[in-house]
Amino acid sequence: MGLVVTAALALTSLAVYNRNERRLLNLRVRELNLVLAATVPSIETPLASAAELAHATDGSPQKFRAFMVPYVGHGRQFASVSLWPLTTPRLAPTAVVGAAPILASMPDKARQFFAHTKPSGSLNLTGILGTARPSLGFEFSSAGRKPGFAVYAENPLPTNRRSALEGNNAFSDLNYALYLGHSRRSADVLVTSVKRLPITGRQASDVVPFGAGAFTLVVAPKGSLGGTFFKDLPWIIAVLGVLVALAAALMTDRLARRRQGAEQLAGILDRVAAENRQLYTEQRSISQTLQHALLPDTLPVFTGLRMNVLYVPAASGVDIGGDWYDVVAVDDRRVLMVIGDVSGHGLRAATTMALVRHAALAYVAQDPRPASVLAKLSDFVNSGSHDYFATVLCALIDVDAHRLTITSAGHMAPLLLDGEHAEFVALHVDAPVGVAGNSHYHEATVSVPPNATLVAFTDGLVERRGEVLDVGLARLRDMATRQQLPLDDLLVKLARELASDDHNDDTAIVGIQWQN
Amino acid sequence: MAELDSERPAEVAIDTRLDPAGSALVTVSGDLDISNAGTLEQAVASITAERPERVVFDLSGLRFMDSAGIAVLLDCAGKVNTVRLRDPSPAVRRVVELTGLTDVLSIES
Repeated sequence: MGLVVTAALALTSLAVYNRNERRLLNLRVRELNLVLAATVPSIETPLASAAELAHATDGSPQKFRAFMVPYVGHGRQFASVSLWPLTTPRLAPTAVVGAAPILASMPDKARQFFAHTKPSGSLNLTGILGTARPSLGFEFSSAGRKPGFAVYAENPLPTNRRSALEGNNAFSDLNYALYLGHSRRSADVLVTSVKRLPITGRQASDVVPFGAGAFTLVVAPKGSLGGTFFKDLPWIIAVLGVLVALAAALMTDRLARRRQGAEQLAGILDRVAAENRQLYTEQRSISQTLQHALLPDTLPVFTGLRMNVLYVPAASGVDIGGDWYDVVAVDDRRVLMVIGDVSGHGLRAATTMALVRHAALAYVAQDPRPASVLAKLSDFVNSGSHDYFATVLCALIDVDAHRLTITSAGHMAPLLLDGEHAEFVALHVDAPVGVAGNSHYHEATVSVPPNATLVAFTDGLVERRGEVLDVGLARLRDMATRQQLPLDDLLVKLARELASDDHNDDTAIVGIQWQN
Repeated sequence: MAELDSERPAEVAIDTRLDPAGSALVTVSGDLDISNAGTLEQAVASITAERPERVVFDLSGLRFMDSAGIAVLLDCAGKVNTVRLRDPSPAVRRVVELTGLTDVLSIES
């Protein structure tokens, strides 16, 4: 009887296992789809911002180059970006950053492509170009009243179109193939992890919207998605059941049996807990991968300044936040620093953040004065049907003059550290961008003492439940003055001491130190 | 104990009233932060759906509010003509000041 029950249980759990595997696979393809879709802004918004900039500057090649350079090159978003005026009789780019575009050597294809693209303000795909080194082309045209300029980017596909996901990636347990459009022909494959297409066996697929086009994503598990515990569950039940049945039949030592049962149970509970921990860790790593993809990974090197940034994800919860920062060189003596926080959490806040961040960079390229950048950003956020707002701090730093021009849209003032003395920069805080009506921002100009350090941050660093904000601000100031640490160590110390324990909000910190 | 507290969502009590003259009163008490701001968001959404002229938030019993709470108030201010905060504690008042919102969320005490 015990054996029959055991067999039935083993079969049931095998059926449950199969059903769970299917559900997990569907979940994973949706999850991967979301991550891919969330990377669209990091491609689309720089191109959209560049198109907007071209429109505002009548296609200035210098402004275009200056704006695009940080996005182009190895490990960055694009391999090649070019500016194409659409009104000239001969279709050719007037500015190229990075590799020469393949499209420029295919005049017929270019004419056909640009004639077909609508200036609708969304991303268009050329398809796969070239044979020696096949590339994918993207295009964005300014959605103006007259046909204006197109910003065109190309990225080479990986060699043999093969790319395995990294071992530490949250999706490393999947095989995948990403196709252009809705097709599953091997000519249309953009990138895949498998040697031989099509992917066979248990699989799931989904369509990823991409600008005006789409990709088709097919995934298959490499092993068991639920981890080995669920795969082993039928065998565990069978083995345990046989043990119990045998034990009952043979009436062996009761104490030994009980201890064995307790050990088995403890073992199972441990494994369940480990599985949960692993799933949770994977989910967090997806969020963090995405956040890192959306934030700048390198800062400009600037003579006379030491700069560093830290992003600390929330200590609890798996959501991504909307905190961001940017430090860009305006010219050879001025640096612009932006730090901000978009309201809300999750993928939507993160993609909104990417949109606001790139828009701000485009406005910086037009005119770097902080009040002007924030006024344009506020108009931008107010002009759409956007239901979010963002606190933004924008500081233009004149390195040699030791001067800071700073504007705050609802964002907390940065801390200025001078040896043993530290004060928050005195400034007029205007309303956050996206709050109806406000487009006027105050600028404050501050002299910076030699070797001083500026620390800008988001509210995760100072907000604690049940506490007046001033207490958190005072704690930050005291901690920063007591340390007397080099910049990098100071940021790590602040993040560790202030943002770690009681925290369910993410935190960004930017530190800028004068070297003389 | 401090660690344990941070794991638990903060506790907040919300009471909404809509008078026939087109004015709404939302009484919020307790602690409002990122862990429970969603509750207030839902309550405010059901109030703004009735399109009141103005919404008054009675905050006399609210000990603490963070930027997630501010987000809900701002969202409300974007949907109705007037939003007023009645009798906020110094902690809550400070958050409003530090976010530059004294003109948008007017305080009456």
